[in-house]
Amino acid sequence: MNIIVLIKQVPEIEKVRFDYEKGRLDRSSAGAVTNPFDLNALEAAVQIRERVGGVVTAISMGPMQAIESLRDALARGADRAILLSDERFAGADTLATAYTLAAAIKRLGKFDLVICGEKTVDGDTAQVGPEVAEFLGIPHAAYVEEILDVEKGWIIVRARMERSYYLMRLRLPALITVTKDINNPRLPSLKDKLRAMRMPIPVWNYTDLSEIADPKYFGLNGSPTRVIKVYTPISEKRKGQMISGSPKEVSQRILQILRENKILA
Amino acid sequence: MGGECGVLVFAEQEDGRIHNVVYELLGKGRDLANKLGKSLCAVLLGHNLDEEAKELIYYGADIVYLFDHPSLKEFDVIKYKHNIVKLVNSVKPDIILVGATRIGRSLAPRVAAALRTGLTADCVDLDLDEEGNLIQIRPAFSGNIMAQIKTRTKPQMATVRYKMMRPLARDPSRKGEIVKVDAEIPEDTGIEILGKVDAGGINISEAEIIVAAGRGLKRPEDLRLLEELASLLGGVVGSSRPLVDAGWISREHQVGFSGNTVKPKVYFAFGISGSPQHLFGMRDSDIIIAVNKDPSAPIIGVSDYYVIGDLYEIIPTLIHDLKKVRSALTHDEE
Amino acid sequence: MMKNSGIPSSLIVENLKGVVGDKWVITEREFMENYLKDETPDPIRPKPAEDLILVKPSSTEEVSRILKIANENRIPVFPVGGRTGLVGGAVPTEPGIILSLERMSRIEVDEENLMAVAEAGATLGDLIKAAESAGLFFPPHPGDEGAQIGGLIATNAGGARAIKYGVMRNYVRGLEIVLPTGEILSLGGKLLKNNTGYDLMQLIIGSEGTLCVITKAVIRLFPKSKYMVTLIVPFNERSDALRTVPQILRSGIIPLAIEYVQLREILEAAGHINENWPVQKGLAQLIIILEGSSQEEILSACEGISKVCEANNAIDILLAETPEEQNRILKIRSNIYTALKPRMMDILDVTVPPSSLEKLMEQVDMIASKYGIYLPTYGHAGDGNLHVHIMRKDVESIDMAKKIKEEIYGAALKLGGVITGEHGIGKLRTENISLVLSEKHIDIMRSIKRIFDPNNILNPNKVLP
Repeated sequence: MNIIVLIKQVPEIEKVRFDYEKGRLDRSSAGAVTNPFDLNALEAAVQIRERVGGVVTAISMGPMQAIESLRDALARGADRAILLSDERFAGADTLATAYTLAAAIKRLGKFDLVICGEKTVDGDTAQVGPEVAEFLGIPHAAYVEEILDVEKGWIIVRARMERSYYLMRLRLPALITVTKDINNPRLPSLKDKLRAMRMPIPVWNYTDLSEIADPKYFGLNGSPTRVIKVYTPISEKRKGQMISGSPKEVSQRILQILRENKILA
Repeated sequence: MGGECGVLVFAEQEDGRIHNVVYELLGKGRDLANKLGKSLCAVLLGHNLDEEAKELIYYGADIVYLFDHPSLKEFDVIKYKHNIVKLVNSVKPDIILVGATRIGRSLAPRVAAALRTGLTADCVDLDLDEEGNLIQIRPAFSGNIMAQIKTRTKPQMATVRYKMMRPLARDPSRKGEIVKVDAEIPEDTGIEILGKVDAGGINISEAEIIVAAGRGLKRPEDLRLLEELASLLGGVVGSSRPLVDAGWISREHQVGFSGNTVKPKVYFAFGISGSPQHLFGMRDSDIIIAVNKDPSAPIIGVSDYYVIGDLYEIIPTLIHDLKKVRSALTHDEE
Repeated sequence: MMKNSGIPSSLIVENLKGVVGDKWVITEREFMENYLKDETPDPIRPKPAEDLILVKPSSTEEVSRILKIANENRIPVFPVGGRTGLVGGAVPTEPGIILSLERMSRIEVDEENLMAVAEAGATLGDLIKAAESAGLFFPPHPGDEGAQIGGLIATNAGGARAIKYGVMRNYVRGLEIVLPTGEILSLGGKLLKNNTGYDLMQLIIGSEGTLCVITKAVIRLFPKSKYMVTLIVPFNERSDALRTVPQILRSGIIPLAIEYVQLREILEAAGHINENWPVQKGLAQLIIILEGSSQEEILSACEGISKVCEANNAIDILLAETPEEQNRILKIRSNIYTALKPRMMDILDVTVPPSSLEKLMEQVDMIASKYGIYLPTYGHAGDGNLHVHIMRKDVESIDMAKKIKEEIYGAALKLGGVITGEHGIGKLRTENISLVLSEKHIDIMRSIKRIFDPNNILNPNKVLP
C-alpha cells in the first residue's frame, strides 16, 4: 500500500507571544515543530504499513528548514520524504497549498491513501485535507478517530461528526484527516533518528511541479484570499462590580444576583 | 427582495434537525443580502424536510433550494458537494456561508476547491466593504489577534463559528419561496455510510449555566466541587485548557478558542486567569462572575461581578447555601 | 483559644486585623481546611490543632508586625507555602497563627544579572514562567509547581534536575527574612561571591520555617538552553539500568536529570492522568534529560550515552524531541506520587552515595521480601536519591510501617547515606534525626534555634527532636 502523509512545520504555538503595544506577533521565543496532528497522521500510516506492508511517503511544503520536520517523520517510520520548496510556492493560502500538494501527489504517481492531521495549529482551518481530496478527485473522510480495517481497494473508518460517529467505507484511493484520538504517536528510537539525519530528502521546486500542474495556481499568485488587516481584538470591558466580604457574604450576594436574573427562584 | 442571489447559506441538518448555527447564518446573511440589494437563499439537502424548509424562511431566507432525496438523508460529502456546486453555478451567489461545524468544515473546502474559489475558515464576524465585497473576520493564533480577509474570486466563501451571530426572531408570517430541485446522485461516490451512532456526551455550547474552573483548581478530585455546584444550579461544568491538557476533564468541557464557544446566561469562572484563548470562547456570556485570587487576572476585566478570593472558600459556601435554598423550597412544596 | 497566652483571643484577632485588614484574618475553620494539611499521606499526617487563626499579610512590614504580636503573646506561628511538603512540616500542630504569604507573589527578573527577585508567596510555576518570558531559564525542577518560593527555600527542595544544576541552595543568592522577634534582616544579594562573615543565608536555607520567615529571595537564573531532549531507556534488569548511571556520568556527559522508574509504577501514573506511557517494554527504565546549544551537540552526546546503555543490555533507546512529548514524559513521571498517594502509608527519600544506589535497592528488596510485601520504588538515580513507598494494604499498623521505615533507614546509613535527601525532617522525621546526627550536633542546632527564636514560637516542635 502506498500511503502519503502530509506534514507541516509550524511555530511552537504556546510560545508565540503577542505584543499588544506594538500590535504584532513575536515568534522569537517559539521554535519550529511538526504540527502535532500530523504526528497522528504519520503514526496511522506507519501502523497500516506494519499491518499490510507498503511505503509511507511524507510530503511537506515550506521553507528549506521544514526539512527538519521531514527528518522527524523519517525517524518516526516514514520510508521516504519529499520537500516542496520554492519562493514561488510561498504566501499560499489553503487553496494554493492544497493545489500544490495535490500536484506533488500526482507527480509521485500511484498512491492508495493520503493521511493528514485534522488541522494545523497555526492556520487552524482544517481545509487543506478536503481541498487536496477534491483536487485529486478522490473521496475523503474528515475527523477520523479510528481505522477499523484496511484492505486492497478500501478502508473502513469511524469519524466523529457533530453529534454522531459515522462508520464509513471509502474506496481507495482516498484521503482521511485524523484527530488526536486516533492513536498515540510513538517516540522514534535514537537509532532511527540518527539514521534519518543521514537520509537524503529530495526537494521539488516550481519547475518540477509545473510539468503536471498549472503554475498560476501556486503560491501567493494562486491564492484567492488576502489578509488585509491584522489587529488586536478589543475586549469589551464590563462594569466589573467587586463582591467583597466574607465567603458567607459573597455567597449570599451571588445568590441574590442569580435571583435578580431569574436563574434561581 | 428577490432576483439575484446575494448570499447562499448551507442549511446543515443532521437527522432532519437543522443545526442552530444555520439560523445564525441566516440572521447575518439577511443583513448582508439587504446591503447588497439581493436575495438571501438557503440550500437544504436531505429527505422529507418540507417543514424544515419553511423554518428557514421564518428565520429570514427568501428562497430555499430544497434537494429532497432519500440518498441525501445522511451527509455524504461527495453527493452534497456535487449538488451544491451545480446550484452555485446556476444561481451564482456572491457569498456562500457555511457553519464551521465538523460537517461544514468537511464540505466547504471541497466546494471551494471545486469552484476554485477562496474559503476563509472559522469567521467570527462578516461585513461588506464599499464595493460590496465580503470582509471576513477570523481569529488567528489562538484568538490573540484578529485578521480581516478578502477573497478575490467569486463566490466568496466562509465558514462561520457557532454562537457568534444573532439569529432573527422566528416569524411564521414571513413569506419566501421553496424551490424544489431535482437532486443528481452520482452513482458511486466511493463513500459508503455503514452506520451512525450517537456520540453522546455533554453539549456545553447549549448550556445556560456554566461553572468553569481553571488552573486555580489544585487537584483533579476537586472537580467534584464544581460538579456539585453545577448540578445544584442545573448547569454544566466547563474548563479552561490547562485542565483538559492535564487529562483532568474531557475535551468536550473545554471552553475557549480550541474548545467550545459558549454563550450561557451565567458563566462562573473559578480560578481561571483569562488567557486570550479562554476569553475568546466565553466573553459573550450574558453574565460573567469571576472568582480569582489574583486581582490583576485578565478575567476580572471582562467580568460583570468579581470576587478576589479563594475558590476553595467560595464554592463550598455556595454549595452549602444553595442546598439550604433547595431544602427550603422542597419544604414549601410539602 | 490560645490557652497558654492568657490573652483574650478576640483581642489578638483584632490586633491582627489591625495589621492586615479584616478580610485577611480568617477564623472560621471551614475556610482554612486547605491550610491544615500538606501532601503527607493521610494515615501519618500530623493532626492540626483546633484553635487557629489564618493570616494573610501583603508585605514584609506586616509580617514583622504579626510576628511581634505573636512573640509578645507567646503565640505559635506556622509559616506555610504551597503546602506540598511530605513530612508534615507545614501542619499547624499547636494552637496559633497560620501565616500564609500567598498575597506576596511578585517576581521581578533582572535580565542583566541573570537573577530574579521573588517574593516568598510566588509559586514555582510563576518563577518558571517569569524566567521564560525574560528568555531565561530556572534549571532545577524541585517538585510541584504550586510550591511557593518561601517553602522551596525553607526546605532546600531538590527534584529531578539536580545532577547538573544542584538543589535550591545552589540558586539562592540573597534573602529577606523576618525574625520571630520581628526584626527584618537582609542576607546576601545579587552577588555571585560573598564572603562576609558567617553565612546565615545558608543556615536559613533548609531550616524548615523554624528560625525565621522568608519574605523575599534573590534567585539565580540561567540563559535558556537552545536544545533539549529526553531519552527513555528500557532495561529488562534493574541492575543493568542502575549500573548504567555512574558509567554515563563518568563518560563526561552530564545530563540535566537521570531518573530511574519501574514500568509498573510509571504505567500506573500514566493511567492516573489519562496519558499513555510511550514505552511498554523493559521493567526498569531510565529517563535521561539532556540539554545543550545545538542539535548536533546533543545528538552526539546521545550517541555516547547509547554506547554505554547498549553495553549494559538496554533493550532500546527512545528519543523525545518535541516540547509536547518531553513535557508529557515529565508530567507522567511527576505523577507517580499522586497516583500512589491515596493508597500510601509513607514515602521515603533516603539518599546514598550515587554509586551505592544499586546496593541500597538490593537491601530494600530484601526488606520487602522479609515482610512479604511490594515496595514501589523510583528515584533520582543520578543523585543516589531513592523514593521508597510503603503502601497501606501491606502494613497492618503504623507501627509496622515504622519498623519497615527504620530498616530502610538502617540500610541507607550503612552505605554512608542519610534518611532524607529531599523532604527534610518536618514533624514526621524528628524521631529519626538522631539516627544521623550526633548529640552534639543536635545540641548546636538547639542553641541556634534559641538565638533566633528565644520564645520558641516559630514552627515549634519541628525539625528538632
